[in-house]
Amino acid sequence: MTDIVVPDSQVTPELQYRIEQFLYYESRLLDDRQFRLWYDMLDDNLRYTMPIRQNRLRREQHLEYDGAAEAQFFDETKKSIDMRIRRLETGFAWAEDPPSRTRHLVTNVTIFHVCKENIQLSAYFHVYRSRLERQIEHFVGQRIDCLKITGDSYSLLAREIRLDQSTLMTNSLSFFF
Amino acid sequence: MTEPFIESEMLGTTHWTSAAICDLVDENKGSIDPRIYTDEQLYQLELERIFGRAWLCVAHEAQIPNAGDFFSTYMGEDPVLVVRQVDMSVKVLLNQCLHRGMKLCRADLGNAKVFNCSYHGWSYGINGDLIRVPREEEGYKNKLIKSDWGAIEVAAVELYHGLIFATWDRQAPKLKSYLGDAAYYLDTFLSRHDGGTEIIGGVTKWVIKANWKFAAEQFASDMYHAPLSHLSATLAAMPPGTSVSKAEWKGTGYHVRTHQGGHGTGFFSAPTEAAQIENIQILFGWMGEDASKYYYTEAAENLRQRRGDAPLGINGAHMTIFPNLSFLPAIQTLRVWQPRGPNEIEVWAVTLVDKAAPQAAKEQWRLGNIRTFSAGGVFEQDDGENWVMIQDVLRGYRARKTALNTSMGQGFSKPHEDYPGIVGDVFSEEAARGLYSHWAKMLTTDKWATLYD
Ligand code: FES
Ligand SMILES: [Fe+2]
Repeated sequence: MTDIVVPDSQVTPELQYRIEQFLYYESRLLDDRQFRLWYDMLDDNLRYTMPIRQNRLRREQHLEYDGAAEAQFFDETKKSIDMRIRRLETGFAWAEDPPSRTRHLVTNVTIFHVCKENIQLSAYFHVYRSRLERQIEHFVGQRIDCLKITGDSYSLLAREIRLDQSTLMTNSLSFFF
Repeated sequence: MTEPFIESEMLGTTHWTSAAICDLVDENKGSIDPRIYTDEQLYQLELERIFGRAWLCVAHEAQIPNAGDFFSTYMGEDPVLVVRQVDMSVKVLLNQCLHRGMKLCRADLGNAKVFNCSYHGWSYGINGDLIRVPREEEGYKNKLIKSDWGAIEVAAVELYHGLIFATWDRQAPKLKSYLGDAAYYLDTFLSRHDGGTEIIGGVTKWVIKANWKFAAEQFASDMYHAPLSHLSATLAAMPPGTSVSKAEWKGTGYHVRTHQGGHGTGFFSAPTEAAQIENIQILFGWMGEDASKYYYTEAAENLRQRRGDAPLGINGAHMTIFPNLSFLPAIQTLRVWQPRGPNEIEVWAVTLVDKAAPQAAKEQWRLGNIRTFSAGGVFEQDDGENWVMIQDVLRGYRARKTALNTSMGQGFSKPHEDYPGIVGDVFSEEAARGLYSHWAKMLTTDKWATLYD
């Protein structure tokens, strides 16, 4: 798990701008429920994870997050994301039917590694979800992304979602981060 | 003479008589009164008379392998520490300092040499003994008898196929008698392979704003909801474009209410080879080829050699051990429904696998659980949706006055030559009736002996 995120000195204002626009576009597709268009932004080799976090004493802090081969809320490939989207499309996905209203706020975008093939970045998120009559939930955390450079755009190759909750305060993670 | 109201240790006289509580669960009519899910006093009585007395699953041995390892959990709403001792035995201690009641340890798990209270600094050994008190001389003038103030310990701890159970009640029967008919099924699920089980990673925890009994009952009794509640997940796991009619849950099977104790299970049996192949394919679709192959060959063979053919006829099962331990064998999710007031559950779920399973199979179970039965799992999401909505509806006066139907399969269950318990068709509510009747008994009966008539 990469813990120190220092901005890469090669990051130009243009690159920063392009990356931010990419992330904003992605958010808008999710909030507009354009899951298939969002799906097209995912790389074929996607790894999309959200490890669980435990309350550990400071001396055992390095064990706070469960490892890549342990317990996660998400551990997805492009194929399993497809399965999740197909579920939504069946018309019988009760936890999202009627659908949730979500808003993905993305901020503190820091590009920390740039090379010919990839861009690695950290961004903070605040996902707001409103469901049915009055169910309101907030999810705040950090995303560590690796984008693959594909011509003049990008695809999402890896995303690690670090949610700032230990006990998850919702009954259904039926949306994406 | 009017019947006395039930005395709660915490609330004093309640507004419930024994007869009124028993009337909430009408086995003859096949109905329940929804106040069992909402009433504050009933909830307090549950904490005292169910969670304060029953055998509760507190951990798996694998969570505390070394001396000093602890796992922090709850028995009802009481926080407890499950601690591996120096002699490798297990103690379960109330996670409460006896000075002013602070939580002794606030980490979810870890390793400790002592538990140091963060308020005034009393420290306890991992066996619960109070070993050090700051200013013992200046403050207490050496008058404090430390041996009187050790951490509170449960009345008994027992292990069962790697699971650690505890009870607060000295009168509680031995775990094996508490399980009764359920032991046969537990032996099948927790010991499919005799090499023991392990847990993959930590505990996944999430909240559901609904009464704990919705969850406990569903896993005990409710195969009925699966085809509809989980239709989207069933379809999504099949090849794209599969028609709804193909996603129908076919197959026959059994449903079990234990004679005593309120436990329940249900499963598909596979009398024909074609049905057996279908079972293998379903698990293949949900978990993966390696998991399915291991489960239906190596592990199945190990089970057959020890127990014969009958346990192998149990497929796609759901089960609850009263009150709040549930699992889905083959899927391999095991969870405790922690009660958090009448209107909320905290789900604590783990993925349990055979130690003997190949690494590839274990990884498929890990991923399969994340994607099917966990907070983000495509099956689980829809269960929460139903329970939360029911709980919401029950805010209504008229809604709480409406008797709910629990009559499915009434009168059609009987003993079975292979499977212990009262056995009916896989689609039945016999186990739900058993669970609620036992619930009412536990709230109204003081003596364990009469709980098992
Ligand atoms: S409450 Fe623990 S030392 Fe005072
Ligand atoms: Fe379900």
